[in-house]
Amino acid sequence: MVSFFIFLLLVAVTSAAASSDYSERLLLRPLPQSALLASFNFRSNESSASFEHQNFRYFPRSLGQILQHAHTKELHLRFSLGRWDADSWGQRPWDGTREGGTGVELWAWVDASSEEEAFSRWLTLTNALSGLFCASLNFIDGTKTIRPVMTFHPEGHHHNSSNLHLLHGTLPHEVVCTENLTPFVKLLPCKGKAGISSLLDGHKLFDASWQTMSIDVRPICAGDGSDCALEIEQNVDMVLDMDRSKRPRDNPIPRPAPIEEIACDASKPYNAEDTCYPLDKGEEPDWSLTDVFGKPIRGACPLTNSDGDGSETVCINVPPERSVQVNTKGSYVESKHAEDTMRCYQLPTGDDFDLMLPSQKMTTGLVRSQPPLTAARSINGHGQERGSIQAVITNPSLTEYVEFVYLESLPWFMKPYLHTLRARVSTSTENPVVETYYRPAVDRLRGTHLELLLRIPPVSTLTLTYDFDKAILRYTEYPPDANRGFDVAPAVIRLVSPQSQHSSRGTYLRTTSLLLPLPTPDFSMPYNVIILTSTVMALAFGNVFNLLVRRLVGADEMDAFGPRGIKGKLTGRLQRLMRAFKGKGGKAE
Amino acid sequence: MALISNLLALRRDPRILKLPPYLSALCIIVGVVWLLVLPLNEYSRNTYISENALLPGQVHTYFGGSEHNIFRAYRHEVAGLVGKPIEERSQRLGEIFKSSNLKVATQKYEYHASSRNVSGQNVYAVLQGPRADATEAIVLIAAWTNMDGEINHSGVALVLTLARYFKRWSLWSKDIIFLLAGDSTAGPQAWVDAYHDSHSPAAIDPLSIKSGALQGAVAIDYPAGPWGHRFDKLHVVYDGVNGQLPNLDLFNTAVSIASGQMGIGCTLQRMFQHDDSYQARLQTMLRGMISQGLGHASGPHSSFIPYHVDAITLQTVGDGWHDEMSLGRTLESLFRSLNNLLEHFHQSFFFYLLMQANRFVSIGTYLPSAMLLAVNFTITAIALWVASGRSDVPVANPASTSRSPAPKSEKAAGESEMTVLKTGSSIALIPTISLTITERHLFLPLTFIALTHFLALLPLYIFNNAPESLLDIAFNTTAVLTSILPTLAAYVLSIYHRPTQQEATLIQCFSLLLLGMFLSALATLNFSLSFLIGIFAAPLTFIRHIPLPTSPTSSILSKNRKPVSAVISLLLVAINPVIVIRAATLYWGKDIVEVLVQAAEGWHIFGLWTQVVVWLVWWPAWFAGGVVVARGMFS
Repeated sequence: MVSFFIFLLLVAVTSAAASSDYSERLLLRPLPQSALLASFNFRSNESSASFEHQNFRYFPRSLGQILQHAHTKELHLRFSLGRWDADSWGQRPWDGTREGGTGVELWAWVDASSEEEAFSRWLTLTNALSGLFCASLNFIDGTKTIRPVMTFHPEGHHHNSSNLHLLHGTLPHEVVCTENLTPFVKLLPCKGKAGISSLLDGHKLFDASWQTMSIDVRPICAGDGSDCALEIEQNVDMVLDMDRSKRPRDNPIPRPAPIEEIACDASKPYNAEDTCYPLDKGEEPDWSLTDVFGKPIRGACPLTNSDGDGSETVCINVPPERSVQVNTKGSYVESKHAEDTMRCYQLPTGDDFDLMLPSQKMTTGLVRSQPPLTAARSINGHGQERGSIQAVITNPSLTEYVEFVYLESLPWFMKPYLHTLRARVSTSTENPVVETYYRPAVDRLRGTHLELLLRIPPVSTLTLTYDFDKAILRYTEYPPDANRGFDVAPAVIRLVSPQSQHSSRGTYLRTTSLLLPLPTPDFSMPYNVIILTSTVMALAFGNVFNLLVRRLVGADEMDAFGPRGIKGKLTGRLQRLMRAFKGKGGKAE
Repeated sequence: MALISNLLALRRDPRILKLPPYLSALCIIVGVVWLLVLPLNEYSRNTYISENALLPGQVHTYFGGSEHNIFRAYRHEVAGLVGKPIEERSQRLGEIFKSSNLKVATQKYEYHASSRNVSGQNVYAVLQGPRADATEAIVLIAAWTNMDGEINHSGVALVLTLARYFKRWSLWSKDIIFLLAGDSTAGPQAWVDAYHDSHSPAAIDPLSIKSGALQGAVAIDYPAGPWGHRFDKLHVVYDGVNGQLPNLDLFNTAVSIASGQMGIGCTLQRMFQHDDSYQARLQTMLRGMISQGLGHASGPHSSFIPYHVDAITLQTVGDGWHDEMSLGRTLESLFRSLNNLLEHFHQSFFFYLLMQANRFVSIGTYLPSAMLLAVNFTITAIALWVASGRSDVPVANPASTSRSPAPKSEKAAGESEMTVLKTGSSIALIPTISLTITERHLFLPLTFIALTHFLALLPLYIFNNAPESLLDIAFNTTAVLTSILPTLAAYVLSIYHRPTQQEATLIQCFSLLLLGMFLSALATLNFSLSFLIGIFAAPLTFIRHIPLPTSPTSSILSKNRKPVSAVISLLLVAINPVIVIRAATLYWGKDIVEVLVQAAEGWHIFGLWTQVVVWLVWWPAWFAGGVVVARGMFS
């Protein structure tokens, strides 16, 4: 029973001593409830000198030029979908540092001399990235941008940090899809043709229970600050439901299995031919890469090292007793780490590589490391006028206090009242709020930015609540699906203490996003109102106008006025002429 | 302009006071007839799906095959749990959910109303939709005991089987919550309250697992025991608490899937034999109105509707050839449709009257009928206000051609009471009487009306809080007390020679004004309640305080003042709200204590407002009318 996270340590070590310019690694880890975590990690370096000269080798040129143009020194971009189920799956991969909230999340350190310049460069960046990744990143405007104070710290080494501005934006409603995956894969040197990236397939990736794609660009320097390089790290983490993934693409419908294939519990008294209590087999399911991803790995990416740590590109984290068969025609190398709980493989070049795990009754399992904190957030109350947010954060540790930063970025039309902010700890009466940073919203210009430094005693639950008002939007400000509600970005939580043992990047977790129903007008009503008011106006105006301008003249007084105006004179003349003509005509007869 | 001056000229015309009673009567008649014509083809419409995203019945359903075997096994499991302690039952149901890899939680609840305890435990499981991001959820409910108090064997088993089946699909874009409520009404209420964190934490547990905003809820009521029962039709129950209704699209989707795709007939309002005749339609509509007017929680779906979560219950009725798999496939198709929703239900009607599974009238068509009933009170109130401003002394009509009954006295009055008015060069002679201003004495009428409403708080409090054993006595005492109270009050007031003729008119005026105002406001919220109360209160428009005979020529009514007042007072007792409720319970064969307990439960558990309307709107209006009439019995 050895914990799996030794591997993460391994990755951290290799990253620090990244000698090669490109490396990739896939970690597979079966999770409970027939889930499978697949963690893809791609990493390439470019020395800053060649980056400055636009001499790109492994670093994608399209992204590099955008970064140069927008003066962005460090960039973190996340595309996420679904939820990580911490109860059954344990600690998050990479301690949550390589994942984002639902939708798209972007934060970057921009080099600029003033805040205004930083913001204009940020807009340049979001617009350029929007085109590159086919995502609506250009909708990250002033109302969705915040400048976090405590939550994020630069991962890279920056010398002139005084000019660096951190900007952060989220799009919780953005649906991550294949169109975002394709440009993502294109940034890789092997472009999904070989190496582990050949497994990335939109159908499987977006059928996952949870998936996140991340891009992190940061400068890394040697100890003395010289010899700098720009590192791009791309990650794809996903949790696949094996039952769903194993279904063939041409027959994806989960029809009820034939009764012969279902194991029935014969010990039940009512067990009969037509009555079957399904029995849990209690076995690890059988699976292979081809089953789960739809295809095998198409050999190693030739740009990776052929020996050393970086050469072991596929690793699987299973108990030692689990049998793993390799199916390939080429030559591969298997090595075991971390007390045999980690099996790593060097891929053959040019030949397909597949791993097969038969179904097996297990007696031992891996220890799941518990997450240091769990968080859930929901909107309470109902109605169109106001509501309240409740975040429940639990510290499961038996001994340690947990100190963390809680970051909320709320849209402007959700107006929180800070005086209603209550933080209660279940086990003590002390105030868990250590520090508060609050920047109120300005209607239609910027959203609310709330950062709290909180402290929870061991085995306690912190309940954070605050009330908010729902603003009424102008009717042109509603999206086409106004009645769906408006998405509120997930809260970001960063652990301050205890520090993560595995990496210096910290530990993060995010809540789910929320759906905020706003008062929505009946959009057909304006037209009804226009029609009604126009009718009323026409009737009233007609009458009043009539009363004001009409001159009432007695019939006998009519002649005294005589014909008026040019028209009257003309018609008068005409009538006289007519009379004369008729008179003549009469005579002629 | 000219029209307005003509109207002003009519202000003091005695004819203007003759008109309102006829106008009121016309409003009432038109209002009732309006309702009666609604079931005709010309006034009602066929239902239709407004929300195109729903696409009801457009998917193949695959629930069947080996799932049937599993369903039977689960039904045996459920039958095995009958009579077991609640804890054990919840644990076992949770285990079955857990074996389908769902997240399970339980919730305990306990309510006290009328010294009865309502307690139980809800078990629920959350299926996290593979395409969902925890922002939206739909709910599938089966209560352990159904709406008639039987064990919901097949309903619970079906939810367990569907949970296992739904888990395998990739296409859910919303979370699905499977709720096995402890009972049919209080359990779902406790759950949905806790879901929105508006529960009282002392008696109800908070929910440990939550999902996103609820978009819809469907409950199953299928009490067939372990050996199954084939049903004939689905009975769709849709009334929410306080007469709120789910969006018509949800109802239509269910009906269109059940009848169109699965071939299962749908009925509503317990009209199990519906021949689509006028009578059947009218009866369905009236049953719907009574159920809406009572506003009680009729099933597991009722509690969801006040939270703007559209919900219905599907109840199996009759003996036929549809089995649990047909019901399962109906639910599968229904959930596929709900899953398609991009927005919260909003397209279709929230205010409607159904008269058949596919025929309805919308608020624009039916609202005028309740509004006319409410307006009739307002018209009379205005007429009474005008009347109270007239002096008691008759004004001679100079244009009258009829012989005045008392020429001598009139002449004397006319001669002595003339005022000369000068305006510029014009001079006019006007009877002084038409220039005098009659002062209205408002203090007593206003105080009386205010006190009456405060007095009504007393029975409201008593009935909501009295223990069950005392309810019977309390009700009978109230019935007797409220019946004789107007006479008593009139007697007490008559000792002080109050109210005078004018004050009596004003009392009735204010009472009817309030009634008309409340009922027209209520008609937009709960049409049926407003209409029913309007009908029962309609006689209050036509009763009057009979004045003392002023002259030997006074009308017959004035001469026989006391007996007439007594007879009308007796007749009024028949429309005393308490007596009406008693008569209604007798007519439908309900136990009055049971009704009162349900009302008290409604107040404490569901937030029911019907008794508030009865005691604070209807009863004070009746009481004021009663006092005004009974005053005539005493000189």
